[in-house]
This record gives sequence, structure tokens and C-alpha cells, in this order.
Amino acid sequence: MDFDDTPDEAVWRAEVRAFLEQHSGERPSDRDAARAWQAALYEAGFVGVAWPVEAGGLGGTLMQQAIVDQEMARLGLPALINLIGIGMCGPTVIVHGSDGQKERYLQRLLRADDLWCQLFSEPEAGSDLAGLRTRAVRDDDGGWRVTGQKVWTTLAHIADFGILLTRTDPDVPKHRGLTMFVVDMKAPGVTVRPLKQMNGEAHFNEVFFDDVAVPDAERLGEVGDGWRVALTTLMSERLSLGGGGTSIGPKPEAVARHVAERIGALSADRQVLARQQLGRGYVASLGARYTGYRQLSKLSRGELPGPEASAGKLSGTRSARDLTDLAVRVLGDDARVDGDTWQTMQAVLPGMAIAGGSDQVLRNIIGERVLGLPAEPRADKGVTFKESLA
Amino acid sequence: MNFDLDQEHLDLAGGAREFLSAAASPAAARAALEEGTGVRPGRAELVKSGFATITVPESAGGGGGSVLQLAVVAEQAGRVLAGPSLVNFARAAVLLDGDADRLAGLADGSLGVAVVDDSGPVLDAIGADTFLALRDGALVCGPGAVTAREPIDPTRGLGDVALDETTVLVRDAGERWQRAERVGRTILAAEGLGAAARLLEMGVAYAKDRHAFGRPIGSYQAIKHMLVDVYVEVEQLRSLVWWAAWAAGHAPGELPLAAAAAKAAAATTLEHAAETVIQVHGGIGFTWEHDAHLYWRRAKVDRFLLGDDVAAFDEVARLAMEAAS
Repeated sequence: MDFDDTPDEAVWRAEVRAFLEQHSGERPSDRDAARAWQAALYEAGFVGVAWPVEAGGLGGTLMQQAIVDQEMARLGLPALINLIGIGMCGPTVIVHGSDGQKERYLQRLLRADDLWCQLFSEPEAGSDLAGLRTRAVRDDDGGWRVTGQKVWTTLAHIADFGILLTRTDPDVPKHRGLTMFVVDMKAPGVTVRPLKQMNGEAHFNEVFFDDVAVPDAERLGEVGDGWRVALTTLMSERLSLGGGGTSIGPKPEAVARHVAERIGALSADRQVLARQQLGRGYVASLGARYTGYRQLSKLSRGELPGPEASAGKLSGTRSARDLTDLAVRVLGDDARVDGDTWQTMQAVLPGMAIAGGSDQVLRNIIGERVLGLPAEPRADKGVTFKESLA
Repeated sequence: MNFDLDQEHLDLAGGAREFLSAAASPAAARAALEEGTGVRPGRAELVKSGFATITVPESAGGGGGSVLQLAVVAEQAGRVLAGPSLVNFARAAVLLDGDADRLAGLADGSLGVAVVDDSGPVLDAIGADTFLALRDGALVCGPGAVTAREPIDPTRGLGDVALDETTVLVRDAGERWQRAERVGRTILAAEGLGAAARLLEMGVAYAKDRHAFGRPIGSYQAIKHMLVDVYVEVEQLRSLVWWAAWAAGHAPGELPLAAAAAKAAAATTLEHAAETVIQVHGGIGFTWEHDAHLYWRRAKVDRFLLGDDVAAFDEVARLAMEAAS
């Protein structure tokens, strides 16, 4: 047991660090600058590290990618602008795309020539994703026409392309009637509207499709095989979050510093309570961090993270909320008004327990796939999608 | 990064499991509760097995191994509610460092050592004949009179200790005492990990087997999610125990935070696991007949050993603020 890099990992980390430290001040101020920064990083060989060479990547390991992510986080460098494309859309095209699609999209995606989004969730299909209603129907010349609405689409307002999960056959059970496409976000009939969240910011979008033409050549995988293709995307999401050991929400060390600065102003009994709350939140986040290191060790050995990786998000959002609650509390009278980092954070965190798999869905995944508990009986089994709506 | 058990640790765990599951069991803990029989495997068998004295130097007849190795064994001991605890062996090995004769006594079983903290009753005082304590900053050793107390968990051998004449072993022993206490907390947490992991297995097995309203109760999210929350805590406790045990050997600077975190997490996790698994078992869960309460007893006592969870969380907070500012 050790927390050290293997010799190969250490060489790679030194290489990554040497490059990143020359760019440690990189804080792109606009979209073009963010694209240029990703392109520069790509040219240096640090984007798409684990992607195959023929897909424009480096043919490296997931551990090498995790080291790049760690070093970027260490320097406080922001996430790359095309993170959804790199983490989810690209890997799906690599597995299910035609040669033409790979040729057209992958390298441009890594260089941020094109930005990508993922069009899965709908107003009527969140946790129950396979219940989605956006329709794709064949038109007369063999292409497709898409009509429907997506929601919670990160980056849709700036994306050039998206991977789009649609229903192509409502007369079969719902998981079997889905088909995936690559869609041009600038095509006629696509409307994007920013969606303001409870914290006042707009990171997500609603996307409306009104009879949008999609050529058959942009189909991703077989007709009716969209669920399997979507699982590739969701698996890639887990891998892209596989760089274990990073915190969700505020760094516990930052909360400890903030509390240390404020605790002296509290009454003695309040100080005791504050330390209890800090201790509990801190232990939970250390538990999540070191469990993340176990995931990372699996990557280092060349194994893939399994469904147990969901536990990190589940517990991480909980401890982030507990620590942030304390950070707000110790503001004293100012806790009642807005305006500090911590009040902003407290308005962001409820969404973290829902986005990317709600706490309840994650508990089902762990309960069924890790503990082997039986699934809940379902009312939508053995009926067609159309019947399930009745 | 290789934050995982090596093959050598896994082999050790396998060997410890084989010995401990034959030499101790919840049934033995029940006999201790109902009939006042001694704990199993008992001090002599535990010493003979070599597992208890893994961290005693080879020159003194011990295993010359690491705290991590002892933690791996302690997890297995916790699964079957073995007694006496490995905590006193772990603490004594640190406290007696350099005292070749007494270490040899610890290793060959001629000394039955228990460590006396400021506030009793003392863990595994019953059956001990040699007591170590901190008096005015000095490490002292001597015999004592033990008064057994009415047990909640009979496997913990709790008794009040009145020390007789003591000998000063080390004068300025504050740091040594603290390190021993932290190693002890790590091993206590490892035993808690084993007990909590075993409880989770019991709960999951019952939830798959027991049917209500025409289906296994584990298919209901109300039950499933309770067990998942325990699973997540158990795995995080495992990570903290490994970290603390590794730090004891390789990163002394990290040991204070790691040991306090492991102790705190063990207290809350084992208690949460015990309460949850009783609830999952429904009517049978709170009977005398079912084994769940034997683990529950362990949880209710262990949380107060080597400082309680409140003290451990407080220590984590103080250390975190100190490091951050």
C-alpha cells in the first residue's frame, strides 16, 4: 500500500506539471479564449489522453487522464470548455459512430473547434430516462424528422453538435424503441432557451426541436439500439468522474479555514456545536476522499470503476451540504442576507443531489448492482411505450 | 497510487479469518452474556496464534509487523465479536517500546496487559494482571485489583482497576502515550469495521430472503436505501481505517487526524449499522434469540472506548482548523 505514483505515472505527472505550470494563470475570460486554451492543451498532448490514437487521442490510460485532471485541479485551472464532449459525447461516437462520423467530429471535438452537448433528459423523463418522448420519424428520402423537447442540457446555448436520444418506435417496450443521433445544433427548427436555476445563474438550457431534419448518416448505432448507446454515454460519464479523491462542492480545508477565522466570535456553547458540525462534515469528506483514492488505485491497475463509484457522489453531496451549512451559520447576522461565497454555494448544492443521477437513483444502483438486492417491480415492464402512457 | 490491500495483507486476512471464525463466534459472545463464560478465543489462544502480537518486535518474540497488518486482523476479529480486543496489545507494543523483558512477556503471554485510561471502566481489565497508566506525565506499570462491572457487551471485559504499587517505566511519556492511544483508536476502528461489515451482510441477506406483500423486502426502496446508506458508511470507514493504519507506519504526521477520523467514523458507523439491521429484521430483530443485539451491544460500548465520538469529532475539527490556518 502506498499513495505514490508508479515510476511511469511519476514521469507522466512531471511532464504534465511542467506544461501546466507554465500556464497556471490561464483563466479564459470568454468563449474564444476557452477554446484556444483547450486547443493549446490538445496540441501539447493533454486532452483525450485515454482516447485511441485513431480517434485523435493519445492512446494512454485512464490513470494518465486522471493525473492530468488532478494537476489541473491542483493549480485551480478551470474545467475545459468542451467537457461534455470529451467526457460523454466523444466516447459514445468512438464506440458507436461510423467511420465518417469519427472522421468528421472527433479531432475537432478535442481541439474545441466544435463544442458538444448531450440531449437526454426531458420534462417527462428524468430518472426514468427511457420514458422520453422526443420523436424521430423517417421522412420520404430516408432521413429523419425530430420533434420534441429536451431539458437540463448543459452548454446547449453554445454547442455546435449534440448527441440526441429519441423515440423511433412507440409500439415496442420503451427501452427498445430508442435511437441515438448526432444533431447539428444550428439546424433550422432547433431553439435553445437558457434555464435559470434557483441560484439565479443559467448553466442549463431547454432545447426545442420543431421538425428538425437529421440525415440517416448521423444516426449513432442501429435503429432501436439507442438505449445501449446511451449506456455507453452514462458509463463514460462515470469514467470521466473516475478521477477519485476530488471534492464535490467546497474543499473541506477551505471550510475549516473559514470556520477557524470566525469561530472566535461565537459564544462558547456555539463554538462547541460548530466544532461538532465541522468534525462530522470533515470526517465524511475524508471518508469520501480516501474511498476515491481506492477507485483511483483501481484505475492505476488498469481496472474500470464499477457501480460502487456512485457512492462518492452520494456521500459527497451530503457532506458538502453539511459543511456549507456550517460555513453559512458562522457568518452570524450576515447569514440572513445574500452576497457571500457560502450563500451562493448553499443555493447550488441542492441541484448537485439531483443532477447526474439523483440520490435516490444512485441508492437504487448501489442497492441492486453492488448489494444484489432485488429491483422494485415495475409497471412499465412487458408493455409497449404507448401502453405505458395510458 | 496503490491504496489497496496487497496480496500479503489479503493472505493474512484469510488466515486470521480461518482462525478467528473457528475460535470465536456470536454464539460464544452469547454464552459470555448468558452464562458469564470467558471471552473467546481468550487471551491465551490469541497470543498463541501470533495474531495479537503482530506489532511486537521479532527480537521480543512478536511478529515484527505493521499496524496495518494488525488492523487487517482486527477487522476479522470484529466480524465474530472476538475477545479480548487487539487494542491493548497494540497500545502495549507502543508503550513498552525498548522494554525487551516486558515485550517478551506480552509476546509469550506471561504478562496479561491492559491499559488504564483516566476514566474507567477499563477495556479487558478482566483477565489482565499487568496495567499500564500515565501518571504525572510518566508511564507507569503495576498490578491492580479489578472489579468487574455489569456488562452491556460481555466481550469487552470491562472492569474498574485500582492500581497497586507502580513502577515508572518512562518519565516523559506524553508523546509515546498519545501515539499508543492513536494506534489503539485505529485498531478499535478496525474491529468496528469488521462488526459493521458483518452486520451489513446479515441485513442484506435477510432483506433478500424475507418476503412481505408478495416480494422480498429488499426490493422496497425504504429498506434498500437504508442498507445502501450503511454500505456507503462501511466502505468509507474501511478507507479511513486503512489510511490511519498506513499512516501509523509511514506518515506519523497524518496519524492524529487519521486516527481521530477513523475512531469517530467507527463509532457512528457501527451504531448506525446495528440500529439499521435490527430495523430491517423487524420483529425478530429485537428478540434476545437473534444475534443482532450482540453486535448492537458492541456498538453501544465501543463508541465510548478511547474517548467517545463527540471527543473524536472535536479533535478532528481542531486539527482541521489548525492545519488550515
